[in-house]
Amino acid sequence: MGADWALRVDHLGRTFGRPGPRAEAIVAASDVSFSVAAGEALGIIGESGSGKTTVLRCIAGDEHSSSGSVWLRALDGGETDLVRLAPSQRRALRIDRLAMVYQDPAQGLRLDVTAGGNIAERLTAAGWRNFGQIRQRAAELLARVEVPLGRMDDLVRTFSGGMRQRVQLAAALALRPPVVLLDEPTTGLDASVAAGVLDLIRDLLEEWGLAAVVVSHDMAVIELLTRRCLVMHQGRVVEAGLTDQLLEDPQHAYTQRLVAAARG
Amino acid sequence: MSLLDELVGEPEPTFAHLDESSKREIRRALLSAVAIPGYQVPFGSREMPVARGWGSGGLQITLAVIGPDDVVKVIDQGDDAGVNAANLRRLVVASTGVTETTDSREATIVQTRHRVPEDPMSPGQVLVLQVPVPEPLRGVERDVRELRRMHAEGDYARMWVSLYEDLVRNGVITRTTGYPCLVGGRYVMATTPIPRWDVPRLHQAEHLSLFGAGREKRVYAVPPHTDVEPLTFTDVPFEVERTEGARCWRCGSAASYLVEIPGRDRWVCSDTDWCGRRIDGR
Amino acid sequence: MTVVPSRRPVLEVRDLRKQFVLHHLGGRHVTALDGVDLDVAKGEHVALVGTSGAGKSSLLRCVWRSYLPSSGSVVLRRTDGTSVDLATLDDTTLADVREHEIGYVSQFLRREARRTAVEVVRGSARRRGVLDQAAAGDLAVEALGRVALPAELWNTYPVLLSGGEQQRINLAAGTVAPPRLLLLDEPVASLDPANRGAVLELIARLRDSGVAVLSVFHDLDAVRQLADRVVRLERGRVVAVGPPEVVLTAAGVAS
Repeated sequence: MGADWALRVDHLGRTFGRPGPRAEAIVAASDVSFSVAAGEALGIIGESGSGKTTVLRCIAGDEHSSSGSVWLRALDGGETDLVRLAPSQRRALRIDRLAMVYQDPAQGLRLDVTAGGNIAERLTAAGWRNFGQIRQRAAELLARVEVPLGRMDDLVRTFSGGMRQRVQLAAALALRPPVVLLDEPTTGLDASVAAGVLDLIRDLLEEWGLAAVVVSHDMAVIELLTRRCLVMHQGRVVEAGLTDQLLEDPQHAYTQRLVAAARG
Repeated sequence: MSLLDELVGEPEPTFAHLDESSKREIRRALLSAVAIPGYQVPFGSREMPVARGWGSGGLQITLAVIGPDDVVKVIDQGDDAGVNAANLRRLVVASTGVTETTDSREATIVQTRHRVPEDPMSPGQVLVLQVPVPEPLRGVERDVRELRRMHAEGDYARMWVSLYEDLVRNGVITRTTGYPCLVGGRYVMATTPIPRWDVPRLHQAEHLSLFGAGREKRVYAVPPHTDVEPLTFTDVPFEVERTEGARCWRCGSAASYLVEIPGRDRWVCSDTDWCGRRIDGR
Repeated sequence: MTVVPSRRPVLEVRDLRKQFVLHHLGGRHVTALDGVDLDVAKGEHVALVGTSGAGKSSLLRCVWRSYLPSSGSVVLRRTDGTSVDLATLDDTTLADVREHEIGYVSQFLRREARRTAVEVVRGSARRRGVLDQAAAGDLAVEALGRVALPAELWNTYPVLLSGGEQQRINLAAGTVAPPRLLLLDEPVASLDPANRGAVLELIARLRDSGVAVLSVFHDLDAVRQLADRVVRLERGRVVAVGPPEVVLTAAGVAS
């Protein structure tokens, strides 16, 4: 593991329920470890139920991990375990140090607030108090994600899925967090719309040198966005490697099945 | 006398309508409120002879803090003579025997709905404000737990967003009464329902302001010399109500808070006592 | 087979073995490489020849590490003098080594979707270490010129172009800033004679400037023209090593 990681996850696990004679504990994720450097995108691929989204949600703090630790370089130089923080402290990280982009943009946006207003929420949470500057920054971000400027003051509810996702990106990245988590960022979008959003994500990751974790069941997305990849199956990491190597020379039986299925 | 009678003792004559333990509870809540400026302290709101929504909260505060040597003024919309103000004043005076006045300079306790008296209040005076909605975030969030969290963490982003949206939609922030303010740099407080005009007069005031919401069962406070800053963007200055050329038709003042007389195309001072004194030269 | 040791090898492959385990076929093993030793020195062009299935492309992929070697070592001596075994290197460092030190040109290389030819090559330059956008752009333009790709195609998506044009874009991307080690898998297979000539010249110039080149050519004339040494593979093993005139005539090599 390089010394210049931006995000590090050690033996992360999430179990529902307690093991016992009557009830079974459900292991959503177990013993997941990885690190991501600035400017690098790591993929997590697997089918639904593989635990990949659980891992992301545990890192983001949306779910409570049962075991393991999470470290951010941007927090105390990587000396403080996020899992040990109080919920309010974890929430504070979500302002400018860790962003999550949800599969359903409605989860990462307020639908009854304007596009600009959603960005304003992040900026004011970080202490921005000048209306003109807030407007300007919101306009810049929306332009960067190719949302027409004329729609800046429209409620997000009036936007199509692809546009909502772009607004979610703009808001999530408004304060240039060093680490961004993307959960199935284009699942549910039409193919051509998805392609545009993926290209945007790819460009932003490169331009801004963000460390990213991309979760997807879609190999094409992983291939486009990531350099390294983990394969998850039934809550565990079964294989890890360079994305192109995983796709060309999968070792694990499950990975081989996944790749074969994707390649048709 | 039965044992119970011995233990309970002789019933005391009730000063200020409430029994002593009720008053003590309210005072304890008020002490917490003063110690944490702008923070809404829950209290056990009693049944009062005024209906909820008619100043029962303010009334309970006044009755809890009042002593036999206090002098009380009660106004509604700046007017001592309004029906509600008159009722409340009668209640207070009847159960305490204290002196009443319309002159805010003479009062030790001023209970008000909707206005702060024109004459600046001095140290030792207490302003008791009747508040219908104590929660400044009411328009942006319904969930009680989330509201508690927002105040606890000082996370007022949703409030800022609503101001942003207001500005975007209307070109100005359109709130007239109940403008949200940051108190002591920590809690956001509702100044409901005083007009913008009066908001700057709470800032670094010499007097103590106590806010009571009977129906919502909350009290909060702004101690003297506390910062009360209306929430606004640094490039959108907070403005108070002003109509060009308006003057009070009775006393001629253009520097006091004026209200329009409907149908007459005339303005008059909201603080009737202040206006009257100006005319009399007092 | 004796290995002729080269002075200061840039690439040192020792006992490289690659087996595929096909789980969906009950765990059947397929051997692609069965103990290969090979050196490539700075400024040397080593060409791999052999029948299809002999392991030539597999060898290149094991060096690039899009195939995971089953055992053996693939040691690269980096520009800064340090040596790393690509076979066992951690992923992150390997990705860096690839970007900075190795050029890989293959007609099977998965290309980035929805990036124009010049964007692809420019991206490669930036990953190689040319961080300034303008400088990378200049290098990209030069590289595309060297492979004689017409300027009017530079802002087109490669997927819309012919095989030969795509191949040249790959080559430009692989050589935009001269790498330490250049891996070429059939770099002229789809090119017409005029373009083929330009590309062969480019490869020769790169070798002359000190790039270590390991190539697979179907085209034996190209091998004769470019290679300093030829390594013949058969069923995953080295069966002959030597100068082109020796190895190519020796066993009547047919493709």
